[in-house]
Amino acid sequence: MADERTPTWEDVARVYGRKIYNFAYRLTGNPDDAADLVQEVLLRVRKGLGSYTPGSFDGWLWRITRNAFLDGVRKQKRRPTSPLPEDDRNVLATSPSPDEVLASVRLSEDIQSALLKLPLDFRECVVLCDVVGLTYEEIAEAIESPVGTVRSRIHRGRKMLRELLTWPV
Amino acid sequence: MARVKASRSCETAELVSAYLDGQLLPGELDTVVAHLGECADCIEEFHRLKEIRAALRTLPFLEMPERLLPDTHLGEQLSAYLDGQLDTSEHDFVISHLDFCTDCRLELHELDSARTAIRSLPGLEPPEFLTVHQERIKRERWTRRRVVAAGVGIAAAAAFAFGILGPTNESGDLDITPLFDQHQARVSVDAGFNVIPAFAPAGDSP
Repeated sequence: MADERTPTWEDVARVYGRKIYNFAYRLTGNPDDAADLVQEVLLRVRKGLGSYTPGSFDGWLWRITRNAFLDGVRKQKRRPTSPLPEDDRNVLATSPSPDEVLASVRLSEDIQSALLKLPLDFRECVVLCDVVGLTYEEIAEAIESPVGTVRSRIHRGRKMLRELLTWPV
Repeated sequence: MARVKASRSCETAELVSAYLDGQLLPGELDTVVAHLGECADCIEEFHRLKEIRAALRTLPFLEMPERLLPDTHLGEQLSAYLDGQLDTSEHDFVISHLDFCTDCRLELHELDSARTAIRSLPGLEPPEFLTVHQERIKRERWTRRRVVAAGVGIAAAAAFAFGILGPTNESGDLDITPLFDQHQARVSVDAGFNVIPAFAPAGDSP
């Protein structure tokens, strides 16, 4: 989305809602928590758009998203350890071959459960990079840390994931 | 569980992910490429990270539950859009919304058809009986207004005349002194004549 124009709340919901949902889902492993986070983020965006100064909208939005997520984690005082819910299976059920479906579901389940075992700092950087598709600079802006920190967390997070996953590729 | 015996000792190992992501800083690319050419551990690390990165990126991108989407269908904005009655920002919003919203595009098409159909209707003359009736009502109203106006005029003239000739003092209040004087005059006449009083006092009747 162009930086020079402040999007409306509806634009944000349409354009970013799905990304926020996927970010939240991969971080929590829980569709209800993910949906709650989307609602919370959209609420904060709606309140904050009035005072938003045109600039890096993505950085602003993902900072809100991350803060909302951390607030939720603090509120719940629990680490998300839910098993992979139905959503992944539903999405993958459209794949043509049953074997492929099964393999994909297993792969998704493995990766999701491995993701949930990562420390939160590493998990959020990996998800923002590999699921949401942000650049290191955008992630740095979102988590309010230097790019070097982002780079290190992504690298270490991926290494940990690789150690956690037992499957050969 | 597979163990990564990655190049923990290599300073450049941490750059491998950034290299995969195309996120190296200026000047780092040469260093990494040169290092990968001579370090077997980092080459192995590179392949492992590439594998996990690819796996992460195959995760399905889930649909957001529909209930989270705002109800942003354009509604009455569509008619205003058809009639060219939107300001610039609203117009832009409608255009961008129509890009992705099939429902609104369909509704726009239907509204446009209806609008065209309505606008193509011929202009009709009212039926004659309706015209005659309207004329009669007009005439009656005119007559009624004339009568009322005449009445008001007469009343105003009478009031005016009374205002000029009537008994008023300088302050404009009704002055009853002349009436009192006339009464006195009649009493003085009574002295020499037998005047039949207008009202017989109670108890004086024969």
